[in-house]
Amino acid sequence: MKRIDLHVWGPLIALIGLFILGAILNPAFLAPANLSNVLARSAFIGLIAIGMTFVITQGGLDLSVGSMAAFLAGITIMAMNALVPVVGENWGTIILGMGVALLGGVAAGYVNGALITKARIEAFIVTLGTMGIFRSLVTWLADGGTLSLDSGLRSIYRPVYFGGLGWITWPIIVFAVAAVVGEWAMRHTRFGRHVEAIGSNDRVARYSAVDVERVRLTTYVLLGALVGLATILYVPRLGSASGSTGVLWELEAIAAVIIGGTALKGGRGRVWGTVVGVLILSLIDNILNLTDLVSPYLNGAIQGVIIVLAVVLQREKRTAE
Amino acid sequence: MGKGDDMTVVLALDKITKSFGPVEVLHGVDLELHSGEVHALIGENGAGKSTIMKILGGYLAPTTGQVLLDGAPVTYRSGPEGEAQGVVVIHQEFNLAPDLTVAANIFLGREISKGLGLDHAAMRAATAELLTRLDTSIRPEALIRDLSVPDRQMVEIAKALSRKARVLIMDEPSAALTHREVEALYAQVDRLRAEGVALIFCSHRMDEVSRLADRITVLRDGTVVQRALRGEMTEDGMATAMVGRELTDIFPPKDTSSGETLLELRNFTVQSVVKDVSLKLHKGEVLGIAGLVGSGRTELAEGIVGLRPATGELRIHDRQMNIRSPREARDARLAYLTEDRKEAGLLLDKNLPVNLTLTALDEWGLRIDTKREKAEMVSARKEFDIRAASDDMRAGALSGGNQQKLLLAKTMLTDPEIVIIDEPTRGIDIGTKQQIYHFVRDLARQGKAVIVISSELPEVIGLSDRVLVMRMGRIAGEVEGAAINEENIVRLAMGLEREEEPA
Amino acid sequence: MKRRNMLKMPVAAAALSLMTAGAFAQDAEQVVIGVSIPSATHGFMGGLNWHAQDTIARLGEAYPNIEFVLATAPDVGKQVSDIEDMLATRDIDGLVVLPFESDPLTDPVKQVKEAGKFVTVVDRGLAEEGIEDLYVAGDNAAFGRVAGEYFRDNLDADAKIVVLRGIPTTLDNERVEAFQAALEGSDKEILDMQHGNWNRDDAFNVMQDYLAKYPEIDAVWAADDDMAIGVLEAIAQAGREDQMVVVGGAGMKDIIKRIMDKDPQLPVNVTYPPALISSAIEMTALNFVSSAPMTGRYIISSQLITPENAEQYYFPDSPF
Repeated sequence: MKRIDLHVWGPLIALIGLFILGAILNPAFLAPANLSNVLARSAFIGLIAIGMTFVITQGGLDLSVGSMAAFLAGITIMAMNALVPVVGENWGTIILGMGVALLGGVAAGYVNGALITKARIEAFIVTLGTMGIFRSLVTWLADGGTLSLDSGLRSIYRPVYFGGLGWITWPIIVFAVAAVVGEWAMRHTRFGRHVEAIGSNDRVARYSAVDVERVRLTTYVLLGALVGLATILYVPRLGSASGSTGVLWELEAIAAVIIGGTALKGGRGRVWGTVVGVLILSLIDNILNLTDLVSPYLNGAIQGVIIVLAVVLQREKRTAE
Repeated sequence: MGKGDDMTVVLALDKITKSFGPVEVLHGVDLELHSGEVHALIGENGAGKSTIMKILGGYLAPTTGQVLLDGAPVTYRSGPEGEAQGVVVIHQEFNLAPDLTVAANIFLGREISKGLGLDHAAMRAATAELLTRLDTSIRPEALIRDLSVPDRQMVEIAKALSRKARVLIMDEPSAALTHREVEALYAQVDRLRAEGVALIFCSHRMDEVSRLADRITVLRDGTVVQRALRGEMTEDGMATAMVGRELTDIFPPKDTSSGETLLELRNFTVQSVVKDVSLKLHKGEVLGIAGLVGSGRTELAEGIVGLRPATGELRIHDRQMNIRSPREARDARLAYLTEDRKEAGLLLDKNLPVNLTLTALDEWGLRIDTKREKAEMVSARKEFDIRAASDDMRAGALSGGNQQKLLLAKTMLTDPEIVIIDEPTRGIDIGTKQQIYHFVRDLARQGKAVIVISSELPEVIGLSDRVLVMRMGRIAGEVEGAAINEENIVRLAMGLEREEEPA
Repeated sequence: MKRRNMLKMPVAAAALSLMTAGAFAQDAEQVVIGVSIPSATHGFMGGLNWHAQDTIARLGEAYPNIEFVLATAPDVGKQVSDIEDMLATRDIDGLVVLPFESDPLTDPVKQVKEAGKFVTVVDRGLAEEGIEDLYVAGDNAAFGRVAGEYFRDNLDADAKIVVLRGIPTTLDNERVEAFQAALEGSDKEILDMQHGNWNRDDAFNVMQDYLAKYPEIDAVWAADDDMAIGVLEAIAQAGREDQMVVVGGAGMKDIIKRIMDKDPQLPVNVTYPPALISSAIEMTALNFVSSAPMTGRYIISSQLITPENAEQYYFPDSPF
């Protein structure tokens, strides 16, 4: 049977289609500066979505990531500001701050994971709860306003988002590395295999001597760490965090995972598909901004159509089997 | 309906062929179902029984040939349409919504309403009447999830009856039932036959076929190889016709000698089910565990391998062990092969190598060695005779027998010393059964200690060097050697005193 | 300026009554005032929340006989419930409400009024006129117009402007229409208008795309200082700081500071002070403790903040 498997190739074809569309509508689209912008912007959601792929593949869900990112950005900025008098305005402070973001992410992910696996509460409920908690905490820490990074630190830290190897800025590099490692881990390691097995049928996995609870917990911790990594890249961009940071990131990340062909019910994870999904979502935004194709009121509608289409394609594959 | 000549042909297949892609699986099958008659369709796994059942019920369309209902080509194109015309299929996997009540399931899609709302009272009353007719004590307002598997089967039958079935098609109706429940099922079959319903079923149990069938059709490789009326064919004859060769030595000789004690339980208790079990299992031995469903056989096994919390003493190689998870069991070279192959044994939507290596993977390090995985697959296919079109097919697409062999291969890949096999041959054909029995004896020959748990008495008797009989969570007794026979085991299982000491 | 002066009157009265409050409060009747505002979801609302809490704390000390019930709501439904609860369980005597949206809140507020309570509506009017006793609001049209007029009068001929709009709402439409009206007939051109949703990250993305799309931009109307922060960062990344000016709005303290320091990129700002909630709460409190009835409409017009007058709009303690 030589029919093209839309399920696997559909997202990639859609991505290429968007590229061609963008290039036709506005030559500025293909300028390295624009592509660099789009890729770097995608990096936050992209890193989170890679972690989310593992969580969804094992049959879980995490709604708290957007709030978690805001919260981590908040405590990172506060930690860095507090360290300035002690360590000074230098890379030392920044590296310590990065450690706060990463450890904070691991801890937040552990809290989610432990509540889900050890206290055995539904993932949806747990992360709906922590979503509200993280969001409130950052608003409270910021006193309802905005937490801003010390301006001296800011200028040292800034290149982490804006710098890099020419047009290939650090966020793009980190995103690419995470994608490659993520795909490899899903496809070629015991961990990835166990994640897929649990999502496919957790009872079979348990009977097959897989430590189901530990693997599940690990996916949430991994996701938390990736949210921390995303925060490390996010903070130098605007040097601030507030109650409105990272709003709806969780849904964008989940949407990217689904567009990429990972089944929402778990059991089959595609990290590279997730990467394609993230790029599709950012490219739509970018193209709509670069052209006057449709009313900006309709941006959300176009993304919605793409998400539903992606799921329809998955369905077609299943009935064809 | 149901009246008139007993020999009326209700549903018939006329020169049916069926191809999946380039592969033809049915080669011109003729079949007639008569009202008031029970028809048995027998054959090995893959002979085409399920395909025929699906074509009869409207779930599959034939490639060529015709399905005739009352002499005219059928007009239904799907299962539900067939049901509307009185052709009802009871699938092996039940079609019941677990969170709804019995009454709600029976009237699912055809609810009786009163004004805008549902007429619960009327549906309950109608359901109660059906259930009484079936001589069961199931309550109409019970939730399906709270029912036992046989009770669910009864609900399926009640559902079929409520749809005024003229033709009832049953795929392995007794596979999930215990001895007593099977008898209840047979009584219902007799009743339906008397009411003039045309029944067809397929089964791997020859005794069942002898007991129920008025007419037998034997399939082999998509062709009808033999037809017979009641009494024309012995059980041996059926097996021979199905396999196409004389079946001798279904059970291998019990020719291994047992050695040192590998596993010992002392006062082993598994929460709320198994109480104070003590047993010894020796190297090179096949130990059978028999007992009624619910006597705690599976729970004991799951307690041993850490799937259920247990207390008491567990010794391996005379060393006290504390096994709290299947991982720890695996590390103690103790393996359990589940009875629930589809829900606990295999990842049905994953390919064969993934399934094969799942348990053993932990010993392979962080990265999965795909070359090694392929090689293991090749040798597993050879060693356990797993027949599959390709390694990349879904495990769920394998026949039951091949699934069971894959599960066996998967379990053995961790190189266990003690193997507990729960229902080794449930729902698989006689030829594959024979193969599996030989695998089991080979394990003993390799010096492993094997426990076989089974509801099929001939299997326990034919395989075991020693049989423990469980009753209500306790060991009711042990039989050995020549004393292993049906009567002794049933007596123990039913709680009757044995009349004689084992020889 | 005139309208603003009107506002100063009751504030002065508040100061007067402060002196007598201690003695006055002893035997005064207990009064409960409900305050219902949207929660701090972005910078401006954060500032508004801060001012509300600050004012309540201050007035609570000054008038021990006044009890305040503050409820913040993340959406319309919650706000309606809050108001219903205040009326039913807290037995409020007065209500200060900043409606999330006009239409859905008109009816609940009307019921409070019909129960004989004193109603103050802040910032966003109700769909029906004449419900409230007191109306205190910023001037959205003026907010857009002041920015538009600044661009009309100060940019070079043929200057090209890009606009970042807020969350699609009536309020945003009023501002943008007034902005466009102010520029109409001038030789300045509006290149593009996209929604930055009063959010730093969204504004950053939109500005990046503007910069990729248009080789020449002379001015950016960011319409909100949160968005201005994102815009400035995108411009810095493209290294085009010296090519365009940015005008935000609502007077965020960091931005005001830069205007005070004569940052060439940020020549001016337009006020839309979150402190208007303070005036509303104070005036409502005064209605109960002083004899002067505090009714009518108070529109706080938007002012142009320039390096010369920036200092009076600078509140270093506010989170906004």
